Amino acid sequence: MSAPPRLFNEVLLSVENISLSFGGVKALTDISFDIMKGEIRAIIGPNGAGKSSMLNCINGFYHPQQGAITYKGVKRRRMRPHEAAEQGIARTFQNIALFRGMSTLDNIMTGRNLRMKTGLFWQALHLGPARREEIEHRRAVERIIDFLEIQHIRKVPVGQLPYGLQKRVELGRALAAEPELLLLDEPMAGMNLEEKQDMCRFVLDVNDEFGTTICLIEHDMGVVMDISDRVVVLDYGKKIGDGVPEVVKNDPAVIGAYLGVGH
Amino acid sequence: MIYREAGQYKASYQADQAIFPIAQDRLVMIALLAVAFVVVPFVASEYVYRAVLIPVVILSLAAVGLNVLMGYCGQVSLGSGAFMGVGAYAAYNLGVHLPFLNPLVCILLGGFVAAATGLVFGIPSLRIKGFYLACATLAAQFFGDWAFLRIKWLTNYAPSGSVNAPPIQLFGLDLSSPTAAYLIALCFTLVLGLATKNIVRGHIGRQWMAIRDMDIAAEIIGVRPMYAKLTAFAVSSFLIGVAGAMWAFLYLGSWEPAAFSIDRSFQLMFMVIIGGLGSILGSVLGAAFIVLLPIFLNQVLPPLGALAGLKISTATVSHFEAMIFGALIVFFLVVEPHGLARLWSIAKEKLRLWPFPH
Amino acid sequence: MGFFIEVLIGGLLAGVLYSLVALGFVLIFKASGVFNFAQGAMVLTAALALVRSLELFGQWKWPFWLALVSAFLFAAAIMAVVAWGAERLVLRKLVNQEGIILFMATIGMTFFIEGLAQTLFGADVYPLNLGLPKDPLFILESLFDGGILVNELDIWAAVIAGMLVAGLAVFFQRTRIGRALRAVADDHAAAQSVGIPLNQIWFIVWLVAGLVALVAGAVWGSKLGVQFSLSLLALKALPVLILGGFTSVPGAIIGGLIIGAGEKISEVFAGPLLKDLGAWLATNGATGLGTVLGDVGATLTGIEIWFAYVVALLFLLVRPQGLFGERIIERV
Repeated sequence: MSAPPRLFNEVLLSVENISLSFGGVKALTDISFDIMKGEIRAIIGPNGAGKSSMLNCINGFYHPQQGAITYKGVKRRRMRPHEAAEQGIARTFQNIALFRGMSTLDNIMTGRNLRMKTGLFWQALHLGPARREEIEHRRAVERIIDFLEIQHIRKVPVGQLPYGLQKRVELGRALAAEPELLLLDEPMAGMNLEEKQDMCRFVLDVNDEFGTTICLIEHDMGVVMDISDRVVVLDYGKKIGDGVPEVVKNDPAVIGAYLGVGH
Repeated sequence: MIYREAGQYKASYQADQAIFPIAQDRLVMIALLAVAFVVVPFVASEYVYRAVLIPVVILSLAAVGLNVLMGYCGQVSLGSGAFMGVGAYAAYNLGVHLPFLNPLVCILLGGFVAAATGLVFGIPSLRIKGFYLACATLAAQFFGDWAFLRIKWLTNYAPSGSVNAPPIQLFGLDLSSPTAAYLIALCFTLVLGLATKNIVRGHIGRQWMAIRDMDIAAEIIGVRPMYAKLTAFAVSSFLIGVAGAMWAFLYLGSWEPAAFSIDRSFQLMFMVIIGGLGSILGSVLGAAFIVLLPIFLNQVLPPLGALAGLKISTATVSHFEAMIFGALIVFFLVVEPHGLARLWSIAKEKLRLWPFPH
Repeated sequence: MGFFIEVLIGGLLAGVLYSLVALGFVLIFKASGVFNFAQGAMVLTAALALVRSLELFGQWKWPFWLALVSAFLFAAAIMAVVAWGAERLVLRKLVNQEGIILFMATIGMTFFIEGLAQTLFGADVYPLNLGLPKDPLFILESLFDGGILVNELDIWAAVIAGMLVAGLAVFFQRTRIGRALRAVADDHAAAQSVGIPLNQIWFIVWLVAGLVALVAGAVWGSKLGVQFSLSLLALKALPVLILGGFTSVPGAIIGGLIIGAGEKISEVFAGPLLKDLGAWLATNGATGLGTVLGDVGATLTGIEIWFAYVVALLFLLVRPQGLFGERIIERV
């Protein structure tokens, strides 16, 4: 029923033996996996398995005590989140983290701030380079707005939007940065079927049209199995499975973790 | 009925991003400017200048400055009085030590010195936030109070501790009249206010607001917190510093350190909250409100008291003032955190649909 | 040496009073997450109510003990009204808002309460006599030449503060309300879900903080006279809290002692020390540096007004959670 697995041959990011703990609590233990350029990679696991912590490590928000992350062939030193963003890693959040006081348009424009360079002086004048830059990026943002079909809420403060649309704006903000690696933390949580279908379509289109590599966390197994190329399974901070959906689905350890059977 | 935007189409992003996208707003603005520059100088009396116009114009700029920091970047500051003082004393010392500088240039340079000071006191904001930062800015306030009083070099060893502004002139023209002071202050406030508006609607302003709304997410999508916060501190302190220098040179003439005490900091904060956090227009409305309310109370309360058979002293009036300000702060925070500016835009929204709201 | 210890003790005793004010902050912050800027205004209000009603009862020729007790009861009642108003008119409306909004709201409350208190009770300086002895005492005369000068009132203040802290500890640990308070401090929603009435708890916390303010106001008032500057004490409590941590009662006490002692010692000794150092450098070759240091030393008077804040600021950069505060893990 499913299409033959796509083939990828270039590693974009690899995680080697990552361990992370807070005080005495171990969030991640000795995790290794890789993300190929161009694929859709899913991370699944029960609540508290360490999925979000894993994303937080990848974009530099948490600093693992052990292990290394290699991105685009370069082993990474300890870095701040904005440095990860500068290298082309964008993300969305489990609990929506939009800038609630700003409009949809401004939120997505903020996603492009890395590419906007004019200094205070020109900004204050709002002439010449500053104005050209603003309009050029506005054009790019309008393309994203069209792509996500959110033209009608362009000027609405995001705090007033319904949940599903907020999730979409958040995706738009991440896309605005034109990332190479897009991390999606439960992009479909709390959505109804129709919204989920829309979101799946956007994720697939992003991957397809822009060639963006996507790493997503999701609880809806149907969605995960349908759209992802490969799946990592975490449980209690340990990796218990890794592979294409068909294989993972039938892995006894994974089934055990989900159904609560003792290992 | 007149306030309609039907038929006004925006054909370019530039038109869509204009400060006043609606034609009627532009007309009103032009009319207001004409009144402020042409009509007012013919009709205003010395009292109106001293009690209302000059304070409102200068404090508007200071409120805009504080709003950049508090309303746009979300960093609470209780030290804005001290930064006004830095601007004032810096301008004064530049005038004393470099007498060839025009006082108006000194005012501007005072702003730059304040901006540099703001950068230094902004550094803690990189590690701490919220009321911890408020405490740090209090340190700036009290250190300022002390420095203006005790470091004699700052006051050019004036025995009384009070210093005098140099006479304001330009190209040999004497500009010490209240009308001139008002017009100069208006020019500074308008130009710098417009510049600030430009910054807050550009990418730097969006970075500030991103930090304000959710600092962690902002950093993760690539906003450098250090750059965003420090530019906010610098721009804010610059504006407040220029306002402080104007306050000293154009309004006070001679002043003591108490002119820039913590009371001034609170006053500016009230302007920003009542006027509207995150609104340039709101800063001006807030400044006007805070300047006018005490005048109004002083006019109204004693006669009212007399009617009721009570004698109301000026001290009582000032206590009433404190109560009203306090109650209004709580009221606005509870009911409308975007202050007078939001009330204004709601009124405009209603007006757009009037008289057929459905 | 004797003089140094005298200054130190003077500073520690002033620190006890800072601790008293800081204690009120900590109580409210722990239970409702509100950084109550109005604590200083509450101290002022309580002290004004106390001193003015005492004056009035005195005029009515009540016996001193009865007047004193009644005045304390009256002031406590006023604090109850303040606590009720704070809970009903401010906190309840701002539930779930960001801490910084609540903080600004309490600044508004500060102005309101100060204005109201001064309208009702007057705005002059009122001497407060609680019948506490105020004589200077010389102690440890056998150890130091001439002994060490302390004020008897300060010792009473320390004793009262100690009793207050002990009382609060018992209240928090041993009573049912105390347990509820601790539950609310840990987790609002969870406490509510097991049937603890949040609003009632907040009222009680503000009332307790008001009573702490009353004690602080009574002690400070009898030392300095009841006057507007009492409300500025609140500002001194901020660095104390930064040092001690916002959620720690022992932190408030120790932070207060450190700030009190530190500012007195630096005030008395820092300037002269720098001056001496400058003079020594000047005579030993480094004339330029010596002169500069001497000048700085001569300027360093009245540093009491910022010393505490700058210490707190530096401390913040090193250890933002304070000496006893809890470390915060941020998550997204």
